[in-house]
Amino acid sequence: MTIIFLLIGLSLLVALLFLAAFLWAVRSGQYDDAYTPSVRMLFDDEAPAEPATPVRRR
Amino acid sequence: MWPIVLAPVAVPVLLEPTATHLACAHCGDACPAEPLRLAELPFCCAGCRTVYELLATSQLCTYYALGERPGLKIKEVELPGRFDYLASEAVQAHLLSFRSAERARLTLHVPQMHCTSCIWLLEHLPRLHAGVVEARVQFLRKEITITYLLADISLPEVVQLLASVGYEPQITLAELGAQPHRASHTLYYQLGLAAFAFGNVMLLALPDYFSFVEDLQAGFGRFFGYLSLALALPVLLYSARGFFRSAGQGLRQRHINLDFPISLGLASLFSVSTLEVLAGRGPGYFDSFTGLVFFMLIGKWVQQRTYDALRFDRDYTAYFPVAVTRLTPAGEQSISVQELAVGHRIRVRHQEVIPADAVLRRGAGQIDYSFVSGESTPVARAAGDLVYAGGRQLGEALELEVVRGVSQGYLTQLWNNPAFTKDAAGPTLETYANHAGRYFVALTLLLAAGTLAYWGPRDQATMWRAFTSVLVIACPCALSLATPFALGAALRVLGRHKLYLKNAAVIETLARADTLVFDKTGTLTDPTQSAVQYHGRPLLVAEKQLIATAAAQSTHPLSQRLARELATEALPLAACQEYPGQGLHATAASGQALRLGSAAFVGAFASPPAQPADRLSLRASERLPLLSKEVSEPTEFSTQTGTPAALMPATTTGRPACADGPAGAPETSVYVALDGEPAGYFTFRNVYRPALPAVLAALGQRYRLAVLSGDTDAERPRLRALLGPAAELRFGQSPADKLAYIAAERAQGHTVVMIGDGLNDAGALRAANAGIALTDTLTNFSPACDAILEAGELRQLTTFLGFARACLRVVLVTFVLSLCYNAVGLTLAVQGRFTPIASAILMPLSSLSVMIVATLLVRWAARHHHL
Repeated sequence: MTIIFLLIGLSLLVALLFLAAFLWAVRSGQYDDAYTPSVRMLFDDEAPAEPATPVRRR
Repeated sequence: MWPIVLAPVAVPVLLEPTATHLACAHCGDACPAEPLRLAELPFCCAGCRTVYELLATSQLCTYYALGERPGLKIKEVELPGRFDYLASEAVQAHLLSFRSAERARLTLHVPQMHCTSCIWLLEHLPRLHAGVVEARVQFLRKEITITYLLADISLPEVVQLLASVGYEPQITLAELGAQPHRASHTLYYQLGLAAFAFGNVMLLALPDYFSFVEDLQAGFGRFFGYLSLALALPVLLYSARGFFRSAGQGLRQRHINLDFPISLGLASLFSVSTLEVLAGRGPGYFDSFTGLVFFMLIGKWVQQRTYDALRFDRDYTAYFPVAVTRLTPAGEQSISVQELAVGHRIRVRHQEVIPADAVLRRGAGQIDYSFVSGESTPVARAAGDLVYAGGRQLGEALELEVVRGVSQGYLTQLWNNPAFTKDAAGPTLETYANHAGRYFVALTLLLAAGTLAYWGPRDQATMWRAFTSVLVIACPCALSLATPFALGAALRVLGRHKLYLKNAAVIETLARADTLVFDKTGTLTDPTQSAVQYHGRPLLVAEKQLIATAAAQSTHPLSQRLARELATEALPLAACQEYPGQGLHATAASGQALRLGSAAFVGAFASPPAQPADRLSLRASERLPLLSKEVSEPTEFSTQTGTPAALMPATTTGRPACADGPAGAPETSVYVALDGEPAGYFTFRNVYRPALPAVLAALGQRYRLAVLSGDTDAERPRLRALLGPAAELRFGQSPADKLAYIAAERAQGHTVVMIGDGLNDAGALRAANAGIALTDTLTNFSPACDAILEAGELRQLTTFLGFARACLRVVLVTFVLSLCYNAVGLTLAVQGRFTPIASAILMPLSSLSVMIVATLLVRWAARHHHL
């Protein structure tokens, strides 16, 4: 039954990895805006047909 | 002279697009009879066409496919050098969040964004200009983060680019002080850590609860115990820190809040468990401990999620410009508003805000004080007059001499009042939860002492176990969850009906209010509507058409309203010229000449209404003491054209007796002369919001009502009829008077809710227990307040207040429920039978059931109130 020590240690390690992943996600700002990405992902990628149209400035 | 009522009191605000009118391909508004065209598509104005052209060239027309009529009308007139101040190093140092040798990044607030198309277009800015590397939108906060190459584009050009497609960012004095706010991540970290510990400790505690793994427990119990201790320690030190800190703060202010019993419970739970583990007596209550912290943090999180895009803490700096054009002998110079000093000469152009109290030196002032007073009709000022900060100039550029510093102005010094500084000390709000918490502490300590006294002589071991169990149960976890979940759900219900609250505690204040104080102009009256009446000789159809067509040429609010009111077919005009600040002169194709504008402009008017304006009746300046001379008779005529000129209203109180109609405030008049002969005049009067009588009648049955107005008391009889005999009506109130009145009411022990709109109500909104700012468009400025209500929903005020009271009853019901759980726990505890298993079952059960019951009851209450 000593294997329990190892197993628990390993499972804790995995759980810690998930915790670290969560903390990283928060840190990188993924929880700051929960709305815009849901809209952004629906935009089609359409490359402009002719490249580098002249820029108009007013 | 007899009045001809042209329309019923309530005037539809929007143009009804007639069948012949086409919708503009950019903004969707109705096009004029002869729309501008580009590739067969109709446009209402040159501005819209330019934007469309720009987008079409860059192949960004997907913009029009994503949303329903996403285009924004370009209203502002382009002025060269409007964004020049952004080129200054000092301003850039404040605005840029990152800067290297070749690129820079900044976050701008763009309140106009409203739909999917906006996100799409703004994120495709790089296609409009190669110098923009990346653009990311934060929709809920209405922010855009732009990275650009310094070599290819400058900051003024970036802002110009945004403005050219209709998304001019709001850059104000407030933004200069603070970097774009970063969302606090602390709660997420705390929550994540608590969840991690809770899950693992629970798994380790499982063997405790099942007899068939007893040998497992025998072999590994100690190991599991230490491991749980190790996992729970960071929860105590980091995740639960907020509760301890808040309890400590409360104690320092000699005030016991709900966090005190929570901290007491958590501390005893943790120490009892630690002792048990270290002594090898058992596994302790670590699973309950981590679970409690986790659930309570969820409660905090629910309560914290509010409205990111709305700002409830804005003062005048959020509205004032960043930079101002100073006139020096060397020429024009753009300086920061903070550097502005007494004696400086400044230039204020069309659509710019006057940043400080100043004397007008040159130009015809047409100053729109709608942000200050709620009155939308601009007020005229001539050279030599004192103008107060906060107004927006419409028309030609003005030259002003500053007489008071920015923060010392008539309006802005309101913010030096102590009412605006005391708030930072912390929530002094006496919430139900804190109240309950206090009794809870007393009860628990009493019971703990009783337990000691009872078990002491009988059984030492049981005594300690019972004593600690009572302290453990003292954690009013379920109690602390009731408020955030009930009020959090209520917050969302109210948000759906366009009442946006700063935080959940405002609901409690609304529910306990007994006094409602209203501002008049812009709050009780509707600034977007007015009743137009004509007094004078009857007009022929052709004459009406001429007036309507000529008025439609002007951008002045009064002429726009007049054109809307008359709404006839257009008549070809031979000539039309506007005189800024005076009126307009038009000649029909038939040769008939029209003069429309102030009494002085139109020509001598022998009848009483043409008397010079009574200074007390000046609408837009109503709350500003007038030091100026008569304003309706400008000293010189400016013949400059080209600037969007304005009709100057002649303001009168000399109403003909027969014109005393039922509606609205004292009026503003526009005079008409046809072929040099005075024909009559139009009066514009503010009207009360349509549903007002019913709302006020319903509120009057329950609340003490009051109206604070900066106006004269001409409206007293009408307001008296609306509000009933008991209501307090005060007129001629300055912003400071309003604040003082509210403070006095509160000192008498009343719970006051102030409902106002302009900057001049800011003091009263702040001083009240709850201040509700009324706004017509959410993106507009609203002063610091506790809640923002969309103006159209004022009619629902009675329902909102009733719902708030219902929510408070829901909180009470859930309190009772959670106290039942505590009673069960305490019964077990005093007998010394409160085991870890009992705790592990009772704690999550009570927490979860309270969360669910609170949310469901609030939903039910919302349905009951038809919300």
